[in-house]
Amino acid sequence: MKKGAEGVRGSQCIMERFLRMSEANTAIPLFLPCSSTSTESNKTGSWRFLRPLFDEKTSPCSAACPAGEDIARIEMLTARGLFKEAWETILRENPFPSVCGRVCPHPCEGICNRREFDEAVAVHTVERFLAETASRYDLKPKLEKLNAKKHKIAVVGAGPAGLSAAYFLVYLGYACDVFEGAPEPGGILRWGIPLYRLPLSALRNDLSHIEAQGVEIRAGQKIRQDFIREAAGRYDAVFLACGHSHTAELGIPGETLSTVIEGLSFLQRIRQGEITSLPGLSAIIGGGNTAIDVARSIIRLGGRALIVYRRRRRDMPAFAPEVQMAIEEGVELKELVAPLRIAAESGQYVLTLQEMEVSHEDSHGRASVLPEEGKIREIFVDRVFKATGAQPAETWFKPSGKEGTVMTMTNAMLVYPGKGPVLVFGGDLVNETKSVAHAVLSGKQAAMALDTFFQDGMNAILPRLRTCVVGQGPALSMETYMGGPRRFRNPHIISHEELNIDHFQFQSRITQPRLLREERLVSFEEIDLKISTNLAIREADRCFNCGICNQCDNCYMFCPDIAVIREKDGELRRINYDYCKGCGLCVVECPRNAMTLREEEL
Amino acid sequence: MKRVIEGSHAVAEAVRLAKVQVISAYPITPQTHIVEILSEYCANGTMNARFLRVESEHSALAALIGAQSCGVRTFTATASQGLALMHELLHWTSGARLPIVMAEVNRALAPGWNIWTDQTDSLAQRDTGWIQIYCEDGQEVLDSMLHAYRLAERVYLPVMVVLDAFYLSHTYEPVDVPAEEDVDRFLPPYKPRFQVDTENPCAFGQLVPPGAYMKMRHNIAAAMEETLRCLNEIENEFYEIFRRRYNAVEAIWCDDAEIILVTSGTITSTSRLVLKSLRERGEKAGILKMRLFRPFPLAVVRKAVAHAKKIAVIDRNFSFGASGIFAQEVRAALCNAPSRPPVFGYIAGIGGLDVTAELIEEIYWKTKNTTFPEQESIWMGI
Repeated sequence: MKKGAEGVRGSQCIMERFLRMSEANTAIPLFLPCSSTSTESNKTGSWRFLRPLFDEKTSPCSAACPAGEDIARIEMLTARGLFKEAWETILRENPFPSVCGRVCPHPCEGICNRREFDEAVAVHTVERFLAETASRYDLKPKLEKLNAKKHKIAVVGAGPAGLSAAYFLVYLGYACDVFEGAPEPGGILRWGIPLYRLPLSALRNDLSHIEAQGVEIRAGQKIRQDFIREAAGRYDAVFLACGHSHTAELGIPGETLSTVIEGLSFLQRIRQGEITSLPGLSAIIGGGNTAIDVARSIIRLGGRALIVYRRRRRDMPAFAPEVQMAIEEGVELKELVAPLRIAAESGQYVLTLQEMEVSHEDSHGRASVLPEEGKIREIFVDRVFKATGAQPAETWFKPSGKEGTVMTMTNAMLVYPGKGPVLVFGGDLVNETKSVAHAVLSGKQAAMALDTFFQDGMNAILPRLRTCVVGQGPALSMETYMGGPRRFRNPHIISHEELNIDHFQFQSRITQPRLLREERLVSFEEIDLKISTNLAIREADRCFNCGICNQCDNCYMFCPDIAVIREKDGELRRINYDYCKGCGLCVVECPRNAMTLREEEL
Repeated sequence: MKRVIEGSHAVAEAVRLAKVQVISAYPITPQTHIVEILSEYCANGTMNARFLRVESEHSALAALIGAQSCGVRTFTATASQGLALMHELLHWTSGARLPIVMAEVNRALAPGWNIWTDQTDSLAQRDTGWIQIYCEDGQEVLDSMLHAYRLAERVYLPVMVVLDAFYLSHTYEPVDVPAEEDVDRFLPPYKPRFQVDTENPCAFGQLVPPGAYMKMRHNIAAAMEETLRCLNEIENEFYEIFRRRYNAVEAIWCDDAEIILVTSGTITSTSRLVLKSLRERGEKAGILKMRLFRPFPLAVVRKAVAHAKKIAVIDRNFSFGASGIFAQEVRAALCNAPSRPPVFGYIAGIGGLDVTAELIEEIYWKTKNTTFPEQESIWMGI
């Protein structure tokens, strides 16, 4: 029935029509209200004093990810089988999905809201799956790029930070040349991380996409300090991300003996194929990831490995799962011992150790240790490795402060000398946490800072960066910076209590398939195996998609006024405020807190 | 065909024979056996019906309101708390004039938890606009279910067929389960006078102004009044085919009775034995079996007790602060009647307590030996 005069009349009572319907029933009264007019004229939205909104918020994982990946969305797309779109969503924030899917310590999983429910989503496993799927089908990402700019930028160091900076700068419209001293790009990824954690093909996957975006990598070109001076005129900025390639001094007698080997250079020599066997007992001094990598590599080279660490196992800076796997593989660990000296003795080496005791713990539970009086012991080993922390190979890799006006950001330092190219220092040189994801953050921050600097000047940088923060930071979103839809995301980070858990079901986390321990001991084959598509989809489907709309349509189902409108063939849901009474059911029943209820302004 | 079946199964067989199209129920003791059998019938194809599983009785009836509005024959069964949970929708069903039929197994309301028989659950719903039929045995249950569909679909009011927990629902008795073709003759397919139709969209039960609302209510009252006449007609037809008849009430030996026991449910069966024994001893006793409770068969009740000196109502229920509910209704029926014998109210068998022949005889003697009821309700067996 048409709207208008008839519609306004509203309900009509019908009775006679029914009474005449059956001769036999004429005596039975049946008086019923029946209306065939529409109720559309009754705009119930005028009753509303609370207004529900689609208000997408920030998932804790994305805020915890140093690269600021939009994880909730990546999992949502993966769960739907939209692997290319999911992969591109990673690439908007991180050029290294293949690498990070393997070596990232995934802080996202540590903070996953699903942990309160059953177990965290295996975000890194899904990330690796997406990178592998993209590689298997030779997918080419379709990503937005800004118009070309006139400025040209040089990047020194083709590690994760340098390559990230170049990758993002290309998206922002800049021409970028990357200079690398080693014969191949990748930095620590190419030379420092053992193959069983990161196979070469995995690194090359990411490198090929970075290069395909237009990043010019000039490997085998060692850069000297005068490069910066010479760069004037050719480049408008130089990003320095030379990394830590030099092992710190132990400062003990015997350190200079030829059999005391630097951990990082040892790993590099393995990667170069120079070492294929290493029998006997090796002692490794240190407790970081390099120490673990060295020890596990020695096991694979047929030797015995003993890690010597001055604090306790739980104080080790190495990632705990790596320590666990090292122990499983037969690496021995001696806690609370500090090296005093190394000496040669009848073809072997004597490592003298001072036993330590815990004096107290700091607020993070990390032990402070002191020598235990008189408790000294000696162990005989075939060689000693130093893995006690890395330093830059050259002093000029770090800013001295004399170069000009310095602006310190969370993960990069911009130096404006007044004339010549602008300098930005990044990567391990400025990052407190040395991880690939932090290197990506550093490169991204440098790219944003340089773009803002060229467009709007130095003072605009920090305010501009603040608008791109994911949650509370320090993670930054390049999608937001480039004006993508993610810029509408509310920075509020969703907690477990803010979800409507009633709508979720228990589902155990995927078990990562791995090489058998026996297989691991004899080869550098990658330990973590591939997972199938259906397992990846199932794992991604476990994600709560905290804070974002995954079109579950609970809002639509629960709305008593049919005021939630689903756009066909689209992700958008809208609210028809002509009829929304503001009951708030949609907001309460949204499982993932992608909606907000606000008081109407009068 | 005569079969030895439970009262619950008598309900289920009637539902099968009535070719019900949509069933929705939530399990509750002692109703469970009814819906268990029906779910099997739906699953194995014995019935061509949809069985809607729901999370509560409220939803069970809500689902049927939707189904019945679409013009199909429906059924649900419940008891006790389940019926209480349906309360809101009981009003809706009658207000919407939907001929839904329900089997209600009388069970006591909690707390304390009690699964045994007690009529308070169904009698507490007397004002919801449902027709209520109380049954004495398995055969009557089956037959009443068939009456119920004819009646409901005739007057456009819902019907509740009520049976005692365990004494009737779980007791095996010989029951003549009629042949399908005979039932088909008695109960043709449901032809709704109104229904939701996607071809011709309209809304039922929307906002109405007070005047129209009052007219609707008056209309329901008028339909209830027609029910008594319709039941008689329907029972005549039923008798033609099946040679069985129950009537709204059954007056047993009431013509010359001085004391009439008013009974309902399975207590009637026991009372029949007591009556026989009393009559053998020369006592002028009678029984008025209440079968139809809503609409209340005022005229036949008045007529049946017109010559009695005293009336003793046995109530397996209680309205707190008042009295047994059957006693209330009988008193109210006689209030404006020309002859008003005193009405003694006896409360017996609450929460499933056995009402034995001895107890019924005690009630008889108590009534005979007392000139006038000293209190509204006498609690027996306490």
